[in-house]
Amino acid sequence: MQTFLEAFLVPAIQAVVVVLLMLLAVAYITLLERKVIAFMQVRIGPNRVGPRGLLQPIADVVKLLLKEDIVPAKADRFVFWLAPILVTMTAIAALAVIPWAGTDATLHVLGYEIRPVITDVNVGIIYVLSISSIGVFGIVLGGWASHSKYPLLGGLRSAAQMISYEVPLGLAIIGALMIAETASTVKIVEWQARHTWLFWLQPVGVLLFYIAGVAENNRAPFDLPEAESELVAGFHTEYSGMKFAFFFLGEYISMIVVSALVVTIYFGGWLPITFGLGYLVPAIPAALSGAWGGPGVHLAFGVFWFALKTFLVLYVYLWLRATFPRYRYDQLMEVGWKFMIPVSLAWILFTGVALLAFDALAA
Amino acid sequence: MFRTQELEINMGPQHPATHGVLRLLLTLDGETIVGMKPIIGYLHRGVEKLSETRTYPQIIPYTDRLDYVASFAENHSYVGAVEKLLGIDPPPRAKYLRVILAEFQRIASHLLWLATHALDIGAMTIFLYTFREREKILDLFEAYCGARLTYNAVRIGGMPFDLPDGWVDAAKRMLDEFPVRLQQYETLLTNNRIWRKRTEGIGVIDADTALAWGLTGPSLRGSGIDYDVRKHLPYEVYDELDFDVPVGERGDTYDRYLVRMEEMRQSRRIILQALENLPDGDVMTRVPKRIKAPAGAEAYFMTESPRGEMSVYLQADGSDKPYRVRFRSPSFNNLQALPVLSKGHMVADVIALIGTIDIVLGCVDR
Amino acid sequence: MAIKVKRTPRPERPPLWKRLVLGELIEGLMVTLVHNFRALREPFTVQYPDEQLPLEPRYRGVPRLRSHPETGEELCISCHQCERICPDRCIHIEDEPHPSGRGKRPRVFTIDYERCCLCGLCVEACPTKPVTSIYMSHDFELARYRRDEFKADLRELYFGKDKVVYGRRS
Repeated sequence: MQTFLEAFLVPAIQAVVVVLLMLLAVAYITLLERKVIAFMQVRIGPNRVGPRGLLQPIADVVKLLLKEDIVPAKADRFVFWLAPILVTMTAIAALAVIPWAGTDATLHVLGYEIRPVITDVNVGIIYVLSISSIGVFGIVLGGWASHSKYPLLGGLRSAAQMISYEVPLGLAIIGALMIAETASTVKIVEWQARHTWLFWLQPVGVLLFYIAGVAENNRAPFDLPEAESELVAGFHTEYSGMKFAFFFLGEYISMIVVSALVVTIYFGGWLPITFGLGYLVPAIPAALSGAWGGPGVHLAFGVFWFALKTFLVLYVYLWLRATFPRYRYDQLMEVGWKFMIPVSLAWILFTGVALLAFDALAA
Repeated sequence: MFRTQELEINMGPQHPATHGVLRLLLTLDGETIVGMKPIIGYLHRGVEKLSETRTYPQIIPYTDRLDYVASFAENHSYVGAVEKLLGIDPPPRAKYLRVILAEFQRIASHLLWLATHALDIGAMTIFLYTFREREKILDLFEAYCGARLTYNAVRIGGMPFDLPDGWVDAAKRMLDEFPVRLQQYETLLTNNRIWRKRTEGIGVIDADTALAWGLTGPSLRGSGIDYDVRKHLPYEVYDELDFDVPVGERGDTYDRYLVRMEEMRQSRRIILQALENLPDGDVMTRVPKRIKAPAGAEAYFMTESPRGEMSVYLQADGSDKPYRVRFRSPSFNNLQALPVLSKGHMVADVIALIGTIDIVLGCVDR
Repeated sequence: MAIKVKRTPRPERPPLWKRLVLGELIEGLMVTLVHNFRALREPFTVQYPDEQLPLEPRYRGVPRLRSHPETGEELCISCHQCERICPDRCIHIEDEPHPSGRGKRPRVFTIDYERCCLCGLCVEACPTKPVTSIYMSHDFELARYRRDEFKADLRELYFGKDKVVYGRRS
């Protein structure tokens, strides 16, 4: 029987820590993005604030805080204010089920059990999907409430885009869930610890999931809602100051969420990078995951591997942005409905048949 | 209860993708374009009228500011017209220099076109890669005439300077590595499925319509008409040089992209030949200190600027100033076809189309 | 002369297997990746105020006046040629007799940098060849705080402007 403190206070403290860490991470991802894209374009990128530009995010935050917060004259003030909060809140809420280390890393402080995940619900992955679909409203409402034409177009685009890509996003992971026979984010990693990375079993699934995730986050090459060369800045054209910062924050946290989900579902979450072959020589992953130490060591190693993998997936986001042109709105729909959804359905069928065949062979 | 309404939206004059101060009044049904009206004049400086109050040599710097990304071509057209008016024949070395610099200018201008075209469609890295190469060409121009953008590098009767030491080697070095760079751009775009989707079948204009709207340059050649002033009315020494005129098949944005990419290769070929055959001698003939043209004389001279046929009409009144100067700028005519090109397309395509007709607003508004 | 036309056929779409594994997209990604690592070593950027690219000898900065670099004698003979050729009419000259009794020299020589388009025609018109009195300097940093600071008088034309320190005005 959990006490009130165990059920509420511990996750609350964890949540505050995670949110603060995320704010820091987002700040530095913006710097990373600018640096990585700069390097891809043979530039240097920000390097004036602090050594090698490392304090640039702080300067940016200060600038955004000090900026005048403009609300267009005919905007719907309440919705205009609500939209960025909705985007950020839903993005943050999705972080609740992401495990950043194994259950071995459970700490015991003052008799309270602190697990390395805020909450491990048995429908964790489905929870993330459903939460992220609420985030769409933020963008649509933001585009509508601005009472301006470019944001309106941006908002409509994002409504169509995000709703269409919810479907393949959900369908793409069904294969993985079928194999692992769980929708809990913790259990799916534990399954991969026992067997292998789901990536090897679901190469098409991970591709579909990632593409749909990029589209769901409105990132290039699917950044139509904010396509700066077409719609100026899309749904956040009229936003400034902290409200704009919240949209920004929401977008980057969603990127982290999708990357973390890709890592959790397909690349073995907190497990060390042994390319899913750890079961061959169990000593290697054991050594790399800090099994020789206590829960603290476990936690450190788990977070390290998880962060490293998430970083690599995030890097691909930036890499795509630097390389590809942007789809057109109707072509994006076409790719979503005519390609992604049929392929993901076929992939589910294939996975099911393969599973049945495997069971029959094993029996 | 419900009614639908078309949305009127102003794209520009302050818009990231209108390449300057073009304003497009779009009428949209959803995202589909029902009507489009280009509104120009935000950069009108009255260069034609202003030229009437300046002497012939004084007008050359003004032509720099017409098409400011290919100012050499504009200098060249204007000076060509004055030379035709006065019957001056520049020495052969000057002619070769003009061809070499004009083709370098074409490459530089096409690189800028590629950069902005790709950037508008969303591929932003190409922008900086092409600017890197363009920078090298601008260095060559700087070494030749001292300026990087507004060259003022042609004089009535020849060229102001001879090539500085080491210029030919630097030019050859640049041209040697250029195909590698071009291949990189092609890897990023030509077969990229998104790029093809965004450009194939967009802004199709058939040969007859293109002619009727007075398109010239790569925009016309994309529709399959092999009209190139360098071949049809060869000026300077273009008839001594061997090069091909690339033309497209279907007249869509992708064809115009391919044509311009091929033109860069052909320009490289022209420069290499011209550097090979570069004759010795003076770069300037003797011209009177005060250039006067007989009253009533007129001249019309056209060159193939990177954007199309750039021609200059001059009428003299016997003084040292022209009576009338008219610049027929390719950007202006090409822009007029934009509503035709964009009919039935979507907002995102407008961006691709502004890129594909390759306008420079300084050249449109004059 | 027959016109040689080069049809630009559409490049064949990549083969099916290549499209299925997103081959052409990956090729594109490789280009940017290679640049990423190359840029870590040698970025193309020049950190402008800290480092500057070398200017070519013929570089056309703002026009200035000079004395003969070896003999030190005043070169300008106040012939008004540059004033006449200037397309922007930004040069203004007033004469005075030369103290030596021969010829003239400028009493007032103003170039309005606000209007100057750096075309270099004045240098070509200058008759004091081979060392021209007016020349294109290598100075291109033209920002000033007030409009009247753009009118360069004889002193500035000969000795240049004190370096403008950009920053908060006291």
